[in-house]
Amino acid sequence: MLGTAKQRGHTSAPARADALADVVLPDHEGHDVRLGDLWRDGPVALVWLRHYG
Amino acid sequence: MQLHRARAEIEALGARLVLIGQATPRQAAHFRRRQGVELPVLADEARTTYKSAGAKKATFNELLGPKVLAKGMATSARYGVHQGRTIGHAAQLGGAMVVRQDGSVAWSHMSEDASDNAEPAEIIAALRAA
Repeated sequence: MLGTAKQRGHTSAPARADALADVVLPDHEGHDVRLGDLWRDGPVALVWLRHYG
Repeated sequence: MQLHRARAEIEALGARLVLIGQATPRQAAHFRRRQGVELPVLADEARTTYKSAGAKKATFNELLGPKVLAKGMATSARYGVHQGRTIGHAAQLGGAMVVRQDGSVAWSHMSEDASDNAEPAEIIAALRAA
């Protein structure tokens, strides 16, 4: 139901963001953003929203 | 969206705050307008970065259990934020991560259930220390 997991899972944040660095996502204006560029000049807080609702 | 109110404080630290959602750029733009958020919002429709960040999918209880609902209602009442229509995978949980300039993760908080969200103060403290 609602695509929920059948069993309780575990969160597992990595120690390094290397797997995220080369990911390119469009922003709200449709411009591509390479995630690694976000922390190139300083620290960044990335917040993953549960949903847009 | 308590975080957008902390934007000035975060930028004063020389840091950035970026939101990532699990839908399209058009929906991201609509979200920004509707919530009055002036933060950049990236669109990860395939939820690739959710997986890489270690975010999980909730069980039914982690999504709609009594404890989760009670905490959610308290948060809505406290901040005046109310959930609208769900866009994206309903069971996908989110989280937050502070990444240093060298790519190391200074701090993270990946949600264990739908009511488990990092406080803005935690994120700001992590950015100060990063």
